[in-house]
Amino acid sequence: MPTNKTISIGDTFLAGLWRENPVFRLLLGMCPTLAVTTAVKPALTMGISVLFVLLCSNIVVSLMRNLLKPHLRILMFTLTIATFVTIADLFLKAFLPEMSATLGPYIPLIIVNCVIICRAEACASKNGLFISIIDAIGMGLGFTIVLCILAAVRELLATGAVFEIPVMWKSFVPWAAMRMPVGAFITLGLMLGLVNLISRKKA
Amino acid sequence: MLKWLKHFIEQSWLLMVSSFIFGLLIAVTYAAWQPRIEANKTDKLNNLMSALISQADRFELTLEDVPVDLGKGKIAKTDIYKAVSDDGGCLGFCFDAQGPGFADKIELVIAVDFRFETIGSYKVLASNETPGFGDRIQNDYYRRQFDGAPAGKLDLSKTGPADKIDDEIIAISGATVSSEAVVKIFNNYIEQIKTALTKEGMIGNADK
Amino acid sequence: MDTFHILLMAFVSIVIVNNLVFTKFLGICPYLGVSGRIDMAFGMGMAVTFVVTLAGTLTWLINNLVLVPFGLEVTKYICFILVIAGAVQLVEMYLRKVFPSLYESFGIFLPLITTNCAILGLCLFIDLWQIDSFIEAIVLSFGAGIGFTLAICIMAGIRENLKLADVPQYLKGAPITLITAGLLTLAFMGFAGMIK
Repeated sequence: MPTNKTISIGDTFLAGLWRENPVFRLLLGMCPTLAVTTAVKPALTMGISVLFVLLCSNIVVSLMRNLLKPHLRILMFTLTIATFVTIADLFLKAFLPEMSATLGPYIPLIIVNCVIICRAEACASKNGLFISIIDAIGMGLGFTIVLCILAAVRELLATGAVFEIPVMWKSFVPWAAMRMPVGAFITLGLMLGLVNLISRKKA
Repeated sequence: MLKWLKHFIEQSWLLMVSSFIFGLLIAVTYAAWQPRIEANKTDKLNNLMSALISQADRFELTLEDVPVDLGKGKIAKTDIYKAVSDDGGCLGFCFDAQGPGFADKIELVIAVDFRFETIGSYKVLASNETPGFGDRIQNDYYRRQFDGAPAGKLDLSKTGPADKIDDEIIAISGATVSSEAVVKIFNNYIEQIKTALTKEGMIGNADK
Repeated sequence: MDTFHILLMAFVSIVIVNNLVFTKFLGICPYLGVSGRIDMAFGMGMAVTFVVTLAGTLTWLINNLVLVPFGLEVTKYICFILVIAGAVQLVEMYLRKVFPSLYESFGIFLPLITTNCAILGLCLFIDLWQIDSFIEAIVLSFGAGIGFTLAICIMAGIRENLKLADVPQYLKGAPITLITAGLLTLAFMGFAGMIK
């Protein structure tokens, strides 16, 4: 892992978006990706929740990084993340109850979302506050964007609308399969294949 | 002993301090937002019930935690709400009902008139039925058949006139199991809720 | 006899009809990474089954005996994840002392199980479905583990054969695994409605 001095801010940010995109490249955070991308609204809500938790957890871990005892650190990370996920869940229940009902148990599953723990372990516990914040925002945005793209494809094909705005022509027969687990797996698989294609062509 | 304690505190002081701080953080957030969360929950049910019995001014909880036998030894608890008009008269009853559907549990909110003789349709609270087929139990085509149907035993049939309101319900083509699930829920609950309300003497009193 | 019937139905439902991997998208991460060979997959599955049964039971107990009566439900997530982490630690220590050979064969899987969505997911689903009976919670937890093992072994078997197939270059690796998983999900959908 490059040291503090050699990472530039822009590089860190862009890494989260493309080069080390959590879903496409690092294959982290699969579970929520497949579950919440039935429509763009839940996907966006989930993405922003993950961004919030990632940001808060990175900040706290980075502030604590010199005080952590090695064998207790995973426990500390988990505790921090669980706290912020609880807060995010309470927020959704209070201000966005329909989204909270749609996303259901997948919000608390953010606690075990590999993205957050991995970033805490790999970045926040080793770098200063500012770098950690940028990393969190980059990774969080990368995750949100992927979720939204996947959700847009699935929602478009499943209901002919994106974000509940009708897009397809009137006689379009919706592909119900897209709303079911099948559609999730296959769409993600094909998108990963596409990403492989694009990055190989570039290199 | 003291050395062990000192070692223990040295290793875990951060854990204990941060647990305390996090606990405080959660407690504060919870205290701040809990009223809103409760309000959201009651709002949701109220909205659904208002959509079913639109002339009602408010809904009062009449019987709480009424046990309903779902068959095979499963007991579900439901709350019965009385729809009250603005002059205090009883307009009907609403209660939540559940039963097994094709994929998962189906939850409905059912409205019945105050004499418990006709059904005032239903709304779907939660269902995971097959999109495009089973989830058409939420659509008007199927729901309209229950509006005004007699509050007694309903029969499901595959063909027949859907616009004739009687105790014969025409199934959604391609979603027989989901359609049957809804009818079963009705048959199960109407009978048992009627018994429970009659025991309390609540049926047929338009002014109570 | 009725109770036994309910338990049997619950078990079958969570292993096949409501399989955690294929219908609830839980446990995908290790599912993609580990299922290379059937024997490794089976080992992982057994480890997960052991931990999830323990975790599901413990979290049910803590939720129903401590959190709900004392109104502490807001700490549910923290308690659950701590119980799971603790359970994994305990299992690890126990295996290392009593069955060292088994511990060796599990290798790196055990610590990884803590972040397995399937475990926390199952505990949350048991809470969501409002399971009232302790026995049912045990049966569901065990069934979830068996379902996960089933899913992961089927996947491993298919992947072993995929190595010999002619996969397009850009789909090799994760993409083709996901597509295969999707087709498996479709197959398992056929079981829906099996249990009334």
